[in-house]
Amino acid sequence: MSTASASTAHVGASHRLDRLRVNRVGLWLFFFSESLIFGLLLSSRFFLEGIEREHVDQVLGLGITIILLLSSLTAFTAETAIRNGNRALCQWMLLATILLGTIFAVGVGFEWATAHFGRSTPSDLVISEPAEGEEAAAGEHGECERARANPDQEVHCVHAPAYGTAFFAMTGTHATHVVSGVIMLVFAWYMVLRGNFSPNSYWGIEGTVKYWHFVDLVWVFFYPALYLVT
Amino acid sequence: MMKNLSVMQKGMVAAVFLTILTVAEYFFAVEIGDDLVRFIGLAVAAVLKAALIMEYFMHFTNIFHPSSEAH
Repeated sequence: MSTASASTAHVGASHRLDRLRVNRVGLWLFFFSESLIFGLLLSSRFFLEGIEREHVDQVLGLGITIILLLSSLTAFTAETAIRNGNRALCQWMLLATILLGTIFAVGVGFEWATAHFGRSTPSDLVISEPAEGEEAAAGEHGECERARANPDQEVHCVHAPAYGTAFFAMTGTHATHVVSGVIMLVFAWYMVLRGNFSPNSYWGIEGTVKYWHFVDLVWVFFYPALYLVT
Repeated sequence: MMKNLSVMQKGMVAAVFLTILTVAEYFFAVEIGDDLVRFIGLAVAAVLKAALIMEYFMHFTNIFHPSSEAH
């Protein structure tokens, strides 16, 4: 009888390990597909601007980078805590990660509000109908140059600088992942609060925390590409 | 070097290295004048940081050895 129950337990453990392996491989395949998107954004940034870049707020960039790095540490601590059965520490560390992730997202939002990339004069942003007799396709680049030369003149100008395009696309896509990660962390925190995980079963925490690390991993490449080169 | 440390201790050490690399890459970018050298230095730092995160935070190698952990 005891041999039969031991055999059943062994089969159960084996099944759990197989399932865990499948979960992990599936998550890494998801990371791989996500990496293609982020890799394309990164390569388009260098294709458009080479190793040149516009002025960005260095202090803000370094600050949000350190915050994201710190959030990875708190997320890691949360995962380790639930693995060791320390539910209270896991909850606090998840909360800290949520807070740090939110601060990061706010920091990116602040950067969006202050970054201009060649549209520093209000006239650059004015979009108006072309003057009578003037062809709309007179050359948007030329119009933008004229706008910069004459800040008081209202002109038809819709040209967006390449660096701005790359910057907003990269930080926007990344920030979307940060926000979705924060939402997942909130769910994970709530489930820990409800007592849903144990040292023997915590895939929900592990998967969420791995996703958060992936978000951090992407920023490891985006930060120098956007803030530090040149 | 980190063989005898617990998972938590390894994570802490990795976090310290990540912080050092992040601050180092900032000052490297500020101080180094040559564009190519700066680009290569930043790329190397980014790859090192990525490797640290993947190994010590994401446990990449555990995909193939899930039995090494209690779960």
